[in-house]
Amino acid sequence: MFNRDTWQEIWHSIKNNKLRTFLTGFSVAWGIFILVLLLASVNGMQNGFYKQFNDDATNSIFIYPNATSKPYGGFEAGRRIQFKNDDLDFIKGSYAGSYEYISPRFNRGVNAKYKQETGTYTIVGVSPDHQLIERTLVENGRYLNKRDLQERNKVLVIGDQVRKELFKDDDPVGQFLIANDLVFKVIGVFTDDGNEREESNIYAPYTTMQQIYGNTDEINMIAMTYNPSYDFTRALAFSDTMEEVLKRRLVIHPEDQSAFFINNYAEGFSNIQTFSNFLTFVAIGVGVLILIAGIVGIGNILIFIIKERTKEIGIRKALGARPIEIVKLILMESIVITALSGFGGMLFSMGVVALISPIVDAPAFSNPNVDNTVVIICTVVLILAGVLAGLVPSIRAANVKPIDALRAD
Amino acid sequence: MIEIKDLHKSYKMGSNSLHVLKGINFKAEEGELVAIMGSSGSGKSTLLNILGMLDEADEGEYILDGVPIKNLSETKAAKYRNKFLGFIFQSFNLINYKSALENVALPLYYQKVGRKERESKALKYLEQVGLKEWAHHLPNELSGGQKQRVAIARAMAAEPKVLLADEPTGALDSTTSYEVMDLIQHINDAGNTILVVTHEEDIAHMCKRIIHLRDGIIVEDKKIEQVRASQYVQ
Repeated sequence: MFNRDTWQEIWHSIKNNKLRTFLTGFSVAWGIFILVLLLASVNGMQNGFYKQFNDDATNSIFIYPNATSKPYGGFEAGRRIQFKNDDLDFIKGSYAGSYEYISPRFNRGVNAKYKQETGTYTIVGVSPDHQLIERTLVENGRYLNKRDLQERNKVLVIGDQVRKELFKDDDPVGQFLIANDLVFKVIGVFTDDGNEREESNIYAPYTTMQQIYGNTDEINMIAMTYNPSYDFTRALAFSDTMEEVLKRRLVIHPEDQSAFFINNYAEGFSNIQTFSNFLTFVAIGVGVLILIAGIVGIGNILIFIIKERTKEIGIRKALGARPIEIVKLILMESIVITALSGFGGMLFSMGVVALISPIVDAPAFSNPNVDNTVVIICTVVLILAGVLAGLVPSIRAANVKPIDALRAD
Repeated sequence: MIEIKDLHKSYKMGSNSLHVLKGINFKAEEGELVAIMGSSGSGKSTLLNILGMLDEADEGEYILDGVPIKNLSETKAAKYRNKFLGFIFQSFNLINYKSALENVALPLYYQKVGRKERESKALKYLEQVGLKEWAHHLPNELSGGQKQRVAIARAMAAEPKVLLADEPTGALDSTTSYEVMDLIQHINDAGNTILVVTHEEDIAHMCKRIIHLRDGIIVEDKKIEQVRASQYVQ
């Protein structure tokens, strides 16, 4: 099919019609370029959204206590709600399987001191599960474990900010930190990807903290993640029933909206997911429109080419060219031009995106990139569709009576 | 070689139709050199186009070298055109972005002749028309007479049974016209059947037989004493 003669015909034709060739090629390349940029932008926006939520596990649920707003069950409005260890145990017992990880939080502000350096920090009493809920990354040493919890060890995992401020260049692991006159041993240093404020915190076993601060069983907050196999609807249903049951347990009016708050990430995420799906939908829609414009453009130029070459087609037919050879002559040229410029435009735009992608990192627009497969499919579709668009006029031209073609000018 | 019986052709012009050929009967043997004459509108070009399978008759028989030409598909017509016929046009109809050599080689390309053989054959025919040195020039670098000689070489290249020339000298001055006719006579001397459409008496008399067309019918068909074109050519 592609022998030397075919190539020579194509080359001849391209050489003699540089402007036409350039315009065809440019419109194809431009279409692909715009398409790639569009897909990359949408992708960048989606990346930006997800990144903003990347601080904590995406399936987190946080429960904060507050005060009641309605009188109920003999209690007046304005009663402060206080979670306790047995509330946590109750959730663990009632919803096994629905949650993935669960941890209380017991916060106390402390004055911390190491050698000459001092600072004010919050020690958060947590269980080992908390690492996975908060997506804490242990840089050095280790995180809290079950034994720390059971033995109420006075151990701390400090944030990287704390390390910088108190320990300077010293390796804090194994060192002792004095917090409100009590001596703790530092067992690890952590960082947190999404949230630098988090790195000014210090983690300790919540059992240790409860014992030190009044030998209490109170907790400030419950942090958990729902079963990751749940979809958004199921995750929201889970937190809704949990809210209902907790209200009954703590004697709160069922309609009371301020006694405690349940912050389920599924809610925000389902919104973002909807928006991101919408964006993808828009991108596909606009992409299809661009492809159609490209196809119409190629078809248009092919019709023009055929018109321009009608007389030549007549001459060739008089010399014995079969219709299929005429169709081949026209389509081969357009395939070569569209394929070369299509893939050229594709490589160029992907190059541009690859250059830009690492540089762009705004909160709502981050690392725009494209799926190579999608781009290649689009390019191939454009080329094929362009050829199909040219097929009808070229077949018609090939079957015109030679005398009519010869008369054309 | 060529036999047509009761050939009719009309063109639709809006609501009324124009009857161009009204029953043509005509025979040409191998080796003949026939001039088809007539004023414009007499149907001479239409006849030649039908003979060349560039156009189709409405009615009548056409037998070319024993093959009936009727209701051909474009593919089949292309094959016959390639095998049986060579065309020489008034306006030369060379492909302007191809060199003289490539133009001459084009019918051979459609005969699927290999590249090397194509070029050597094309060069041979260009040599016959005296344009070997111009083989790699583009048509717009050639004079009118040279272009027509390239076109003749192209028509010859496929070694057709019949050469059809539609006003081959129509765009040329008289000196060049005689050169072209001299070439056509030489090709005919070698045994090729040639039909020439012309409205010029002197050109017609350089053939061996003249057919006069008027209003779509043959009014005269006579053999003549051929005038050799060589006497006008230095």
